[in-house]
Amino acid sequence: MLRKFCLALAVATSAFAISASAWADFTVLVPSSSEGDGLRAAADDYSKMKGTKVEIVQAPYANVFEQGANAGATKSGVFDIILMDDPWIPFFAENGHLEDLTPYFKNAGMEGPDNDFLSKSLAICRNPYNTGPYVCLPYVGNAQMFFYDAAKYKEAGVEAPKTWDDVLKASKTLTENGGGRYFGYVFRGGQGNPVVADFMPIFWSYGANMFNEDRTKVTIDTPEGAAAMKTFIALRDVSPKGIESYNANEVGTALAAGTAASSINWPNWVATFEDPSQSKMVGKISYSPIPAGTKPGSSEIGHWTMGIMAASKNKQEAFDFMIWATSPEQIKISASRGNPPVRASVFTDADLTKQEQFRHYPVLMEAIQASTPRPRHPKWPEIENAFGIELSKAVAGTITPEEALKNAQAAVEQITGLK
Amino acid sequence: MLKYKGELAKSLQPGGSLEHWTERHLRYLMLAPTVLILLVLTIFPSVYMFYAAVHRISPNPDLPWEFVGTGNFVRLISDPQFHVAVRNTAVFTIVAVALEFVLGLGLALLLDRYIRRLSFLKTVLMIPMMLPPIAVAITWKIIYEPQFGVLNEIMFQLGLPVQAWAGDVNLAMFSIIVADVWQWTPFIFLLMLAGLASLPVEPYEAAALDGASSWRQFWDLTLPFLKPVIAIALLLRVMDALRLFDLVFILTGGGPADRTKVLSLYIYQVAYRFADPGYAAAISLFVLFVTIVLSTWFMKRMRLAE
Repeated sequence: MLRKFCLALAVATSAFAISASAWADFTVLVPSSSEGDGLRAAADDYSKMKGTKVEIVQAPYANVFEQGANAGATKSGVFDIILMDDPWIPFFAENGHLEDLTPYFKNAGMEGPDNDFLSKSLAICRNPYNTGPYVCLPYVGNAQMFFYDAAKYKEAGVEAPKTWDDVLKASKTLTENGGGRYFGYVFRGGQGNPVVADFMPIFWSYGANMFNEDRTKVTIDTPEGAAAMKTFIALRDVSPKGIESYNANEVGTALAAGTAASSINWPNWVATFEDPSQSKMVGKISYSPIPAGTKPGSSEIGHWTMGIMAASKNKQEAFDFMIWATSPEQIKISASRGNPPVRASVFTDADLTKQEQFRHYPVLMEAIQASTPRPRHPKWPEIENAFGIELSKAVAGTITPEEALKNAQAAVEQITGLK
Repeated sequence: MLKYKGELAKSLQPGGSLEHWTERHLRYLMLAPTVLILLVLTIFPSVYMFYAAVHRISPNPDLPWEFVGTGNFVRLISDPQFHVAVRNTAVFTIVAVALEFVLGLGLALLLDRYIRRLSFLKTVLMIPMMLPPIAVAITWKIIYEPQFGVLNEIMFQLGLPVQAWAGDVNLAMFSIIVADVWQWTPFIFLLMLAGLASLPVEPYEAAALDGASSWRQFWDLTLPFLKPVIAIALLLRVMDALRLFDLVFILTGGGPADRTKVLSLYIYQVAYRFADPGYAAAISLFVLFVTIVLSTWFMKRMRLAE
């Protein structure tokens, strides 16, 4: 009898372990960050309200991509929804891992997402960009902003920085007067994604682009690219020693601790800067759109978007949840939990904008509307890595900026097969 | 029950019995679980890796695997990132293992000879080895942090120039080696201490009577006696150093300027970031080949030493 009981228990435990998500109506893969935490909280609300069981699987940033790609390549169907960083969309969509949402909108009697979503937020959810069918819905409205200590900038003779020349002028003075402990500027110089993310807005601000309009040529090594690189290297010279290994945490900490006066960063850092338990700079940091170079400044868009995995067995349930989670009411709740919105009505909601913690919303909305997506290519992770290596070498000074552009051009041409 | 089994066996195998068959094949039956586990956990993944290495595998599940023969291996020859990773892995392995060996042996000699009874100190010295590699990496990241790290604070207080430990092209690999030496020197120390404890006393007594100095005794007696232990310690450390991942992933991400990109990190990037598991399998096989060659060489040396 005891043996039979043990056997039954073992079988039951194994079955539960093998299909941990089988008990749920659908499963969502999200990052272990404020974006994932926000969707987890929303899923809990949804479960209580609808009686639907939602399993949330959280993983570090890079692992979300890996697990999603693995699930897509093996058609495992283990995840129904994936919360994706927007540069991953071409990879997932063009390798058949994402469901086309068109028929689901039709079944729901909708033509597509409503016009309250910001147009740039919707454009990234179509593949190809802005023209193809919807493969996801925007959930978190990230776009880079320029963060600066207005008082320090004023001390350095710059009222409100409009151009990179303004930033350089103020930063140079502040670093020179900082005695090696205070710096005018700080950026993410870590090899790979960090350095690329902080270089791209400067690249675009000088009219440069990675590819030409019709995507037939790589256009990194151009006079525009060289001008952007010159500014980038000048910014390195006014930044702290060691920025070659800096990522978002180091940059955010430098600003919150009041050891650096300005940086490009993501809006989710606003909550940290305005929290007295984490920041010495509460109420002192100003937010502005990305400064201009020879062209108007443009932020890098970094939205978190929800897509349905093509191998999902619960597609309709997943779609219903996505529509609910991206409704104006839910996006407002998500914003109150610290995630930037993707809807105009939430950006302009008086309940939110009157609060100090949301004072950056007008700037963020402007930044999103003036944003540029990272080059939309299914091999973006490989392109970003190659470009990141050359930028890292230039920042570290092991090669000249000209060599970095030339090498990056050759590397991206080889990866994409474009000449 | 036995009667029933016998009847069943008889019905299945006319002329034989289950007991007799079991007795004859007992050794195979006893080995079967081990062989099965070995097949599932070692042989199948290895064969699968060989199979993957000769294919181009698309991340699109609807596209078939394309047979490329030696294509992925030929690619290794012209891949500059692979060459950088090989060079960095070699530098790390040689310098880190050499330092760990010298320090580990030195500490073992010191503790064995002078402070043999201080077992508390031995335990403290072993703590780094017991820590999870990820915890070690995060601890050193905090120590090396250029603006707020403890190391630069000490440098600043002493009036020395602060350094970008993990961010400087000339210091990044050194910083990783220091963290690895901190964690793994105790491992060499432990093995050497065990080796020293098992040394015979008589040869030393004879050498002392003959007037041999401490250095002479160490060179002519201790080192030759310890050779098998040294070979094992170096073999295990070299194999582990070739797989370095955690420290680099957390501390530098392979940068700056590719100066700390090692083979394991590159394999990870190729397999998971670039979604090219076929090529990643080819690089993994290269690492496996190098490890086997080095292990065989060490084993031969060890046998010679014995």
